[in-house]
Amino acid sequence: MKSANQIPQSNVKNFLEKMPTLFKWVSFLSVLLLPVIAMAAGAETKAMSVEYRDVPGIGSRNLVWIVAQQHLLLAGFVLGVPIFGWVCELVGWKTKEARYDKLAKEFTKLLTSAYATTALFGGILLFLLIGLYPKLMAYLTDMFFPSFLVYCLLFLAETATLYMYWYGWDYMQGNKKAFHLFLGFLLNLFAIGIMIVPNSWATFQASPVVVGDGDAWTRAWMAMQNPTWWPVNIHRLIANVVLGGFIVGAYAGIRYLLAVSREEREHYDWMGYVGNFIGVFGMLPLPFAGYWLMREVYQYNQQMGITLMGGFLAWLFILQAMLIGVLFLGANYYFWMGITYRIPGSENSYKKPIMAMLVVLLLCLGVWMTPHTLVASLAEAQKMGGTHHPLLGVFGVMSAKMTVANIMILVTFMSFIMYWRAGKQETAGWAKAAKAIMNGLLAIAAVAVIVLGVWGYFVPAIIRINYFSVAQVLIVGFIMVTFTPLTALLLKSAKTTTEMVWGKMPIRAGYCLVLNAVMVILLMSLMGYARSSSRVHWHIYGVMRDTSEYAFSPALGYAAAFMSLNTFVYCLLVAFIFWVATLGDKAKAQQAKASMSDVPGGTPAMAGGAPSSGEKLESGILENHK
Amino acid sequence: MSEVALLQIIGLCVVGTGILILLFVKGMFLRVVGFVAMVLGSFSLIALGVPQVASLPPAIEKFDLAKVKSPADLAAIGQKIFFSKGQCALCHSIGPSHSARCPDLAGIGAKLAPEFIYESLTQPQAYIYLDFRHATKPEEYPARMPHIDKDPIGLTKPEIFSVIAFLQKMSGEPISIKVEDVMDSQEDQTEAVEVALKTNSVSTSSVLVESDVAP
Repeated sequence: MKSANQIPQSNVKNFLEKMPTLFKWVSFLSVLLLPVIAMAAGAETKAMSVEYRDVPGIGSRNLVWIVAQQHLLLAGFVLGVPIFGWVCELVGWKTKEARYDKLAKEFTKLLTSAYATTALFGGILLFLLIGLYPKLMAYLTDMFFPSFLVYCLLFLAETATLYMYWYGWDYMQGNKKAFHLFLGFLLNLFAIGIMIVPNSWATFQASPVVVGDGDAWTRAWMAMQNPTWWPVNIHRLIANVVLGGFIVGAYAGIRYLLAVSREEREHYDWMGYVGNFIGVFGMLPLPFAGYWLMREVYQYNQQMGITLMGGFLAWLFILQAMLIGVLFLGANYYFWMGITYRIPGSENSYKKPIMAMLVVLLLCLGVWMTPHTLVASLAEAQKMGGTHHPLLGVFGVMSAKMTVANIMILVTFMSFIMYWRAGKQETAGWAKAAKAIMNGLLAIAAVAVIVLGVWGYFVPAIIRINYFSVAQVLIVGFIMVTFTPLTALLLKSAKTTTEMVWGKMPIRAGYCLVLNAVMVILLMSLMGYARSSSRVHWHIYGVMRDTSEYAFSPALGYAAAFMSLNTFVYCLLVAFIFWVATLGDKAKAQQAKASMSDVPGGTPAMAGGAPSSGEKLESGILENHK
Repeated sequence: MSEVALLQIIGLCVVGTGILILLFVKGMFLRVVGFVAMVLGSFSLIALGVPQVASLPPAIEKFDLAKVKSPADLAAIGQKIFFSKGQCALCHSIGPSHSARCPDLAGIGAKLAPEFIYESLTQPQAYIYLDFRHATKPEEYPARMPHIDKDPIGLTKPEIFSVIAFLQKMSGEPISIKVEDVMDSQEDQTEAVEVALKTNSVSTSSVLVESDVAP
């Protein structure tokens, strides 16, 4: 009988060989982190003598900017995908529809491919920060060290869970599916933990609080509970879902454009639709979360709020409005194309509403893009007769912007409802009354949002912020919460007049999905720059001043060029990761194709990969492609 | 060539490359890369088209208190602080303004005693000014006054006295702040006081002229 310490060496070797390579690397990196952090803590006094190190040529700030941006974007994807992947699996389990389970597996495959790269960039970022900003890192380590340990543990738990979740997918079917779903739940739980712990470090830099006496754990906990921590947590959580959804959509869009068989086109058309839907679903509440965050920023420090919204960053919000506007237009356009191409015959009945929606979206975008404060100097303010432009200033204030944001969300939601209802004929006796009520509610909601917006000009800001804006959000939320189940109920007994046809979308649909993803990545980069710049010349606002040569915030043009570069690099990186991830599918597809020839009518397995039938495009589909 | 012009040329090249790829390349993946390049280049060009304002850290300007000879010298320093490090002009107007987020400071130096102004700057919640610009009852101003002697603004005592001197001068009042008072407020009179004159918005673009700022 062998005791525990008498395990033959070959067994250990076998275990290590069987252990997934990525898992080994991630575990190795995680274990490496502990002594590095400890070294950073211990070397505090030594590090104080060297405040900064620089990197010749590119500069330390730029290098950290690139690496941090790549890490954050990858992390956003890695943390966002498990949320809707798990929901998708849950839907598949509940509805017994295998295609949802297959889609969830495909999402998770993309996740596993991106996971190690995210960890790699995280490690590089940590080493760079310790090396280039020793004084800041010593301060943060002293403040947050216990949370570093929690982070490492969460990371290990996340890694282990992810590999059990991924590699156990096919094994945990049938009776074991519930356990697999539980693993998915744990995966999300750890992922949220992994997100919120480092968020506290970053938000502490922007909104530090006075940390009193106590042991290391108490002090770390006090520092973590800073005013912008939870607003950023919520905002990032939703934004990660949006990013994940649109990236998956872009992946499907590109695969759709590259597809050679009908099955592939059908599958990736459907996947693109799901990706876009997830992105839009997350995008609808995102402006509200952003509004809450800005409100907390203003409450924490009026000056920081003014720097963001009315100071040198004022033009940034015009660019933000432009990007969000393009995103809304892109998402809606994709829905409208879906109605036109997937539901033949629907295009005529929806032409007018689509045109009306387009006009409303463009008008709203125009208002949203109107600058609020244009002041660059007092002389310019005197020329304008105040801080606002005499004519356009009326659209530049928050009351107008909140109103149009709500209207755009309503329009986008209605695009989705329209898409959902297209090609179906309600048969329920109460359908007519229900539709009339829905139309009435929609009209009342739109008027109420506009009335509250106009009224907002005539009441003190505090009443507008605390009551009117909240009421607008609640009205739009009420419409979404009531319309969704009502429509589902209506369609339950509806007669399908036109079958949904997948795989017939035109080429521009694929480009549209790519555009949406690029917009989201740019938006995240832009707002990262805004949050970082709002600290102006402080590492930790009002506590630790940046005394390096990079203690300035670059102008918007330079920053935008950098964001574009970062976005391009990220897109290429993600494309490479996904390409590597699907290499195996191609080999499997070829094998399946060879074996299919012996099995008449056989269906290739699609789980975790694309359908592998080699059926070529029919001439009709090719026509649509042009 | 300015940095902005250089970046604009790079942006144009990127957009041009994207268009060329879309026109002449048939490979679908490369076409998507070209499309993304076109979108990103266009975004950069738009961002380069708006006023280019960088946020610079406050320049540390040393001034020796010993060189301050008269209350007028103090007021001149106070004026610089008012419009720079003190960030007073971000919310306060000098003269009536309906869009101002805080009380109008025109004539404030004549209305209020320096001690009261000092308290308003360092303990802003001790007495709240209400906004009487409305036809109905007076209301609180939308902006909340920060503690001016604490971070992130963090004016020193001599700096606050200088600002008060400026407010008095601007109101046509004789300056009651004495140079000696300022000297006394400095713990170490021999040490030069560092006044950070914040010039936090600096144009880095050759295209920024006043007319560009208006929409």
